[in-house]
Amino acid sequence: MNAPIAPIAAVRTPARTIALQQSLHRDEERCRALRALLMTPLMTATHPEFAAVRRHADELRTWFARETGWPLHVERDCARLYKRPADLGDASRGLVGYERRRYVLLCLACAVLERAEAQITLRLLGERLLALAADPLLKSRGFEFTLTVVHERRELVAVCRSLLALGILQRVAGDEESYARDSTAGAGEGADALYDVQRRVLAGLLAAVRGPSTWAAEQAPVTLDERLASLVNEQVPDSDEGQRTALRHHLARRLLDDPVVYLDTLDEAQRAYFVNQRGAMAARLCEATGLAAEQRAEGLALVDEDGELTDVAMPAEGTDAHATLLVAEHLAERLRADDTARPVAEADIATFLAGVRERYGRYWRRSAREEGAEHELARCALERLAQLRLVERTAAQVRPLPALARYALGDTEVRTTPAARTAQSDLF
Amino acid sequence: MTMVAPLPARRQAELFRHVSAEKAALYRAVMDAFAAAKRQFRLHLRPDELLAEGRWDALPAPPRLEELQTALNQLTEWGNLESQPDTTRVASIADFYRAKYLYRLSQGGEAVEAALQTFAQTLSRRAELQTVALEDIAQLLETLQALAEDNAPDAAKVHATLRDLVRVFEGLADNAQAFMAGIARSIELQQADAEAVLAYKRRLIDYLERFIGDLVGRSGGIARRIVALASRIETLLELAVQREARDAAPGDEAGQRDALTRGLLDWRERWHGLRHWFVADRHEPPQAELLRAKARAAIPQLLAAVAALNERRSGRSDRSADFRMLAHWFAACADDDQAHRLARAALALQPARHFALDPARQPGAQELPASTPWAAAPALRIHPRLREYGEAAPRGALPRVQVRDEERRLLAAQLQEEHRQIEAARQRLANGQPTRLSQLCTPDGPQGLDTHAFSLFLALLGEALAAQAHPDAAVERLSGDGLLRIRLEPLARGSHAEIRTSAGILAGRDHMLTITAVKDGT
Repeated sequence: MNAPIAPIAAVRTPARTIALQQSLHRDEERCRALRALLMTPLMTATHPEFAAVRRHADELRTWFARETGWPLHVERDCARLYKRPADLGDASRGLVGYERRRYVLLCLACAVLERAEAQITLRLLGERLLALAADPLLKSRGFEFTLTVVHERRELVAVCRSLLALGILQRVAGDEESYARDSTAGAGEGADALYDVQRRVLAGLLAAVRGPSTWAAEQAPVTLDERLASLVNEQVPDSDEGQRTALRHHLARRLLDDPVVYLDTLDEAQRAYFVNQRGAMAARLCEATGLAAEQRAEGLALVDEDGELTDVAMPAEGTDAHATLLVAEHLAERLRADDTARPVAEADIATFLAGVRERYGRYWRRSAREEGAEHELARCALERLAQLRLVERTAAQVRPLPALARYALGDTEVRTTPAARTAQSDLF
Repeated sequence: MTMVAPLPARRQAELFRHVSAEKAALYRAVMDAFAAAKRQFRLHLRPDELLAEGRWDALPAPPRLEELQTALNQLTEWGNLESQPDTTRVASIADFYRAKYLYRLSQGGEAVEAALQTFAQTLSRRAELQTVALEDIAQLLETLQALAEDNAPDAAKVHATLRDLVRVFEGLADNAQAFMAGIARSIELQQADAEAVLAYKRRLIDYLERFIGDLVGRSGGIARRIVALASRIETLLELAVQREARDAAPGDEAGQRDALTRGLLDWRERWHGLRHWFVADRHEPPQAELLRAKARAAIPQLLAAVAALNERRSGRSDRSADFRMLAHWFAACADDDQAHRLARAALALQPARHFALDPARQPGAQELPASTPWAAAPALRIHPRLREYGEAAPRGALPRVQVRDEERRLLAAQLQEEHRQIEAARQRLANGQPTRLSQLCTPDGPQGLDTHAFSLFLALLGEALAAQAHPDAAVERLSGDGLLRIRLEPLARGSHAEIRTSAGILAGRDHMLTITAVKDGT
């Protein structure tokens, strides 16, 4: 047509919109993939976001390498983000339900699987694990495992379930429950399970920078701190640029992994860098992850509006979460009233919970309403608050930390604004 | 070739124990089956194959699989058989434990078998290299083919050729058998020490290169010749057998006939074995192909072993040793807290942990300077219900479910009416008649088109115009839903069409427009 007429423009505009939509969709998908990796650093192909991770593998690898220095390996059937921690002191970030003994068993099971063929049964795994467990060095540390009693078989099954959940094992036949219950170990094939071993996933389990077995006997780390350092310490180039990058990675790792980074937990060099760079850093991290920065005088928290990017939720539903919220509010009020943040005895928290039981107790679960249950409830609430770095526990004392103030919700504040309350989204 | 050290006398004696043992009949039947397999150049047998193929006439009843397994274990212990792990994937726990081994005659067992047979043959010769063997087989087959084409083949030559063929082939099969066993060992090499693997590497790679090359190069030709000989081989075998029978000790006529039949059976068995090696038999791939696959699979296995070694040398570690060392470190932790810290550093599996809810996004919250302490910043607003009861949804009975049938019916009726109008518009527009745009649209508005027809028309026009490459080019395309075909032909340059709509005037060069409905399947 000689003169441009309306339909042409009407056709072109959707095309532009579509291109825009597609690029938005890509960005959104990459953000979802990144968030999924932050939550599931060892991801198998069964994860719903795995396809997105694979599609954006190159960009994600570059992003993680630049911002955090975390290596990302994406393969055909699994993805691994080596989330090396910056804070080695946090004891609340191990595997759920694990204790010292179970970790030993998990390591021994993995040692067996590394040497196993493509398939293995639970019984065979148990037998070979027994051979490794008989190591006199382990015995000298007080570790004993014989598989002769039911609770030991349950421990083995629990480790197996972890391996199944991680995707290292895949069940082909049988089940673990019958094995755990079967008291005549060794007889009857019904009480057994057959697995395929997923070598690539297994290879991704150990995140150590340097394998613990590569140390020569006289150089091997001995104390816990040396061992922790030997697992995570990377080569840092001996230049100003290299030092700065190391500082930046350290801070980004903490910001992405931990709920809040307080200035007073940083050493001098880190603090100097952080004070200068935190705005720009927070902006970069938030843009890619969809988190929001909460900048305060005491530190910086990256906050997730949807509450999905966390393993410990607050606020949440349930008696424990409710008690946690009440304790947080109680402590925060004290914090606001008295800026010095004096420590509180744990017993006082229990007394406080016993005091509010009359008012709220009827909504709690039955066991929490009983006389004396407040100690358990207080312990649980404080543990959650400590995990979220809202309080610090020392001996039988609790010291509120600055970010606790965000949970200072007095009755008046909520109730005097009915209009705002109805305008809010459903849950909060 | 590996040199076999002479067995100590005690072990030699054990090789013969099965003859006088309690279940001698079963043991003999098993060994006979292996001897037969050996004559067919089969490399190994699984217990279930053995059960299916063995001749159990001498026994009151065929053995059960468990019995057979026990016998096999016993024979392996005595040294008559050798076992190697069966690496085929299984699907049940029972199979995993049971069918884990392949069995073949051990060297000693073979010797015992040979000794036990009345016609003692010398132990199989294995002097030839595969290269030579394959070449010889190909040549001998060629000779045989030439002989077969003769009207009256020379019996002596046929016999000699066949005999050579068998001898060469036996050497090949033996070598292959040794090779297969060697591959199984190379898997174990992954755990062996560095020198052993590196020394083995060169030898194996040389061997594999030569062998695979030959196998690929020659087995096709050999297979072709074998197939080509299929129709005449029976005659040739008979010739050979007759000639052999003449060498045999003189006896009565019946004995001679028997010897003839037996000889012919033997020869057929050998030929079948040769054929099975190179030519696919119904579903089973030929042995040569199995061997090739196995040889090919050996290369990545070997490379993996070498890579593991290199990793170990370059500071990356043996993972199994790492995990064992880590187990020690965990065991050395003073308490669970230390163990959790170690776990986080070593495994790095922890998910992220962040606060939920952003006070800044809540209504009324203003941007705060970064120097504001938390205590001075606005606190979170949490839904009063969650704050008061510890749960987000109210308790109590669920709200009543309302009956919405009436509304649904109304919606369905509206949808149906809309669909009917669109369908009508489609039919009115898609008449297949060429129409000028300028004629279609009178100054008063589009002719005879209602709202639905007109919007459909505009959409079609838009689609067609977007596809037009050049103002002078005609364009034809399917509508977006694939139901209509639109053809748009530009008219003379000076022509002009105008379409008046309530939204404005659409003007441009006149076009000839044809809309046809697409029939299903066209």
